[in-house]
Amino acid sequence: MSDEKIIQITNLTRIYVDGVEIRALDGVELDIEKGEFLAIVGPSGSGKSTLLNLIGILDTPTSGTILLKGIDVTKMSDKERSRIRNQELGFIFQYHHLLPDFNALENVMMPLLINGMKTSKAREKAREMLEEVGLGDRLYHRSNQLSGGQNQRVAVARALVNNPSIVIGDEPTGNLDSKSSDNIYELLRKLNREHNQTFILVTHDERMAAKTDRIIRLVDGKVVEDSRKV
Amino acid sequence: MISVYELFIAWRHLTSRRRQTLLSVLAIGLAVMTLMVSQALMVGFTQELYAKTVDKMPHITVKPNPDEDHIHLFSDLAGKIRSIDGVTGVSPVLSGQATFRYKDKSKNVIMQGILIKDHDSVLHINEDITEGSLRDLDATRNGVVLGDKLAERLDVKMGDSIDASFPEANPTTLKVVGIFDTGTPEDERLSYTSLTTAQDFFDVSSVVNLIMVRAEDPDMAQTISHKIDDLGYQAASWEETNPEILQTIRIESLSNDIILGLVIVIASFGIVSTLFMVVMEKTKEIGMLMAMGVSRRSIMTIFIMESGFMGFIGAVIGVAAGILISSVSGPYTFEVGQEFYAVVSTIPFVVRAQDATVIILFTFLLNLIAGVYPARRASKLDPVEAMHVE
Repeated sequence: MSDEKIIQITNLTRIYVDGVEIRALDGVELDIEKGEFLAIVGPSGSGKSTLLNLIGILDTPTSGTILLKGIDVTKMSDKERSRIRNQELGFIFQYHHLLPDFNALENVMMPLLINGMKTSKAREKAREMLEEVGLGDRLYHRSNQLSGGQNQRVAVARALVNNPSIVIGDEPTGNLDSKSSDNIYELLRKLNREHNQTFILVTHDERMAAKTDRIIRLVDGKVVEDSRKV
Repeated sequence: MISVYELFIAWRHLTSRRRQTLLSVLAIGLAVMTLMVSQALMVGFTQELYAKTVDKMPHITVKPNPDEDHIHLFSDLAGKIRSIDGVTGVSPVLSGQATFRYKDKSKNVIMQGILIKDHDSVLHINEDITEGSLRDLDATRNGVVLGDKLAERLDVKMGDSIDASFPEANPTTLKVVGIFDTGTPEDERLSYTSLTTAQDFFDVSSVVNLIMVRAEDPDMAQTISHKIDDLGYQAASWEETNPEILQTIRIESLSNDIILGLVIVIASFGIVSTLFMVVMEKTKEIGMLMAMGVSRRSIMTIFIMESGFMGFIGAVIGVAAGILISSVSGPYTFEVGQEFYAVVSTIPFVVRAQDATVIILFTFLLNLIAGVYPARRASKLDPVEAMHVE
């Protein structure tokens, strides 16, 4: 692990106004270093998904700043945000969110094509990535022809195929049985070791969180615990 | 620029929900087919109307100046008119009324003294001769050629002699040397003699009172008419002398265009609703695509393209079906009571490449526009909310 700060969050606040004002995040301060494998935990409604969506620039904070590799992403245009999401970020969600009309290979190719890569090259790279997650024999299956664990593996391959510097997982194993869940965890861990990418996982599975290097606990939109394994 | 992945996604959205796509495309196809067939009929009607009316009338008529009864030095004027661009025929005519009498039947007619070759260059009258010959007008002294209906009314046949008279005219006897059938109301009242016969009858010398002109393109008649005006004569194009023809065509095409345009618009609404359904169904996916780095603009492009694809394919299918129907159905025949329409009793289907092209482009553009609204909706989705839609 290097000391390079890949994410610097300063006084991050997110308020939803929906009839009443909901302070989902309240002055969060957080630095994340390159190559970290950390878990954000907390009871539901504590703001962990909100924090994750903000880091993934899928949402805009009410106040505060997020620096990704030293660049403030909160004030970017949609086009720039899209480019950063494509090139620097990889998303894995609780429900795999694969595109149902496309097979596994095409799903994994998609981020590469969005990035402007040639189809033939993208196909080759996507195939390698699927082989790396152990699905070399499921390239042409569609989402509905794959098991939950397999789908999530495709989603992992898709999140990582563009070699993003940050991988974001929102309950990435939340929808899987414990065996598949362990498999996915091991896979993420392996990829983290091999590619030195930063992994930020939101989970309410304390067992899984305990296996990460750093746990950030949120309660009512505030960081109440930030513990590193030694 | 459209990216490969945008095209890829748009196309896959359509091909993976074949039934809905097919139905929307067929709706467009049917509308376009109707438009195509109807347009073919409209063009056929216009052409037929032109053939039966404009083609059989002088495109431009030149009359004497208001204070004169005749055009003097008509050969000179005819020469000048002939040299105008787009003029293909010029015919000096002495036209007047006469009473024709044969046995106990008599009828008031229009008698036109013509120079055969000149007149044929303007009205192609040789084609309409059913009996005898125009040439005999020159070969026979005091010959006359009659419309078939007129001959019927007078009960005369080839070779019969008719008494022609009129106040202030020199009564004379004319020999029927030919009969024509133009299919127009003129057949009931028109007769041709040689120019000299007419000049003798009307007791004038070396003058005419009408010059008829044919234009290469009937739509150029107005322009040519103005040029003749500039020579100091009173010219009128067929559009001015028979405004009802153009009016008929304009009204027909306008109502045709409005109704059929609406048909396409309605079909396009079908596309809009299909697209809305796609957007609703794909909300989650749209959220994921955004997370993968697809910009809002690209999301919009994808959905507009889907609409455009459906419109284009529908239009091509519709045009093809329309052409097929037009070519297998024979000319459309109908019975009409109205006098003006009486000249047109069958309408051929006329398919023109330009119509097909315009219809396809129009439908394609309309569908691109129709796609904007649902596409905008898709592009405005909040990625976080979209992904959590159940």
